[in-house]
Amino acid sequence: MDGAAIDLFVFESDPVLEGVIRLAAAAAEGVGDVTVVTTIDVEIWSAPRPTIVVLDLAGGLDLSAVATIVEHAPLARVVVLSDRDDGPVVLEAMRRGVYGFVRKPDGLHELAETLTQIAAGERVVPPELERSAVDELRRFARQAHAASVVETSITAREREILALAAEGFTTHQIGRRLGISPRTVEAHIAKLYRKLGVKTRLQAVARAATLGLIDLDT
Amino acid sequence: MSQRRAASAPRQPRRLGVVVVDPLGIVRAGIGMLVANADGTELLAEAATADEALRAIARVRRSRVVVLVGLGLEEPHDASWLMREIRERYPFHAVLAVGANADPTSISRALFVGADGYVDKRVEPDEFFASIASVGEREMVLAGPTSGDVGQIADGIYRRRELDAMLTQREREVLAVAAEGLTAREIAERLGVRERTVTTHLGRIYGKLGVGNRLAAVRMAARSGLVSVGTPE
Repeated sequence: MDGAAIDLFVFESDPVLEGVIRLAAAAAEGVGDVTVVTTIDVEIWSAPRPTIVVLDLAGGLDLSAVATIVEHAPLARVVVLSDRDDGPVVLEAMRRGVYGFVRKPDGLHELAETLTQIAAGERVVPPELERSAVDELRRFARQAHAASVVETSITAREREILALAAEGFTTHQIGRRLGISPRTVEAHIAKLYRKLGVKTRLQAVARAATLGLIDLDT
Repeated sequence: MSQRRAASAPRQPRRLGVVVVDPLGIVRAGIGMLVANADGTELLAEAATADEALRAIARVRRSRVVVLVGLGLEEPHDASWLMREIRERYPFHAVLAVGANADPTSISRALFVGADGYVDKRVEPDEFFASIASVGEREMVLAGPTSGDVGQIADGIYRRRELDAMLTQREREVLAVAAEGLTAREIAERLGVRERTVTTHLGRIYGKLGVGNRLAAVRMAARSGLVSVGTPE
């Protein structure tokens, strides 16, 4: 083995899994000391040498923690340990910059193998997970494209009306709020239907929310 | 026609039609040969510019073809423009962006404007051909980019959406021109507005993006693929 071993930091609250990770680290090549952490401590990882950080997503963390670590400690190689392996989760992890994605059912041998490869500087995402991430990327890219097409075609007034319709206002109420006649509101809404490719107000709101043109949470 | 013949020799499924668009003749020739010599595909047309490509595609009498678009296309219309046009005019055609070691942001931009995938010229011919076939089957293709790239490609699209949600269309136009390094007056001339209007737009853009100067704004725009900094290939 050439070069110094890379230290491993583990964010894990389950003692059994912690034991498994320690065993995997011992079996992996190029991995040095193992330290268990209970908070996201970017101070440790911003050290000017590479480290591997294993994050168990079940421990109350979400994937934004990956972005935080990558941003503050560019040399840290983050490995996510997850119960979920659907496309959106894997793609989100990859988007945040993970070095590795390990499913818990994959077991000790897989984890040791992944740690060895990551210590050697490779990124490791199982091929079938990468495939589902690419499928998700397709959905995401198509939606982004559709949204940009609609966005450039709808006017500021139409967007305003869409937002009010999403809040449940009737045609008359929207007209009163904007100081225009109900017939004008209806004309705007008819145009919106065509641009969004829908037939009802509910569909229009749902489609606009999917495309990110309006935010239903606020 | 005789029924017997139809029964004994079922009609061959039609081969997948391919249109190759690339500014470089040697690339068109290479891809053209690959497509023409394969069993499942047929070369329908090739074009050296975006406009030539649209004319060629307009002549194609097929409901679905695969258009390979070289990212090296430039003036007067670039690859993004062409891919957007094809997506709009021929929603059933598949568009496969073709590049040489393209950076993840360029690939993000290609997918954002409507490409169904990206294939790198450095992959082996077998893989290149398989990519054409997959995209013809309505699958998304990323041949060449690594796992790390996939994450960055997704991130580029994500950032572009964020930027689009923050800025108006006019502000995006101003930012795109500003990225070329023009002065406020030059930007105003280009867009046909007053210089004061441009400085107002720029101030509002900085405020919305939470940045202090043009360089930082342009960097955000570049990471999102809104503007391209450097060459596409």
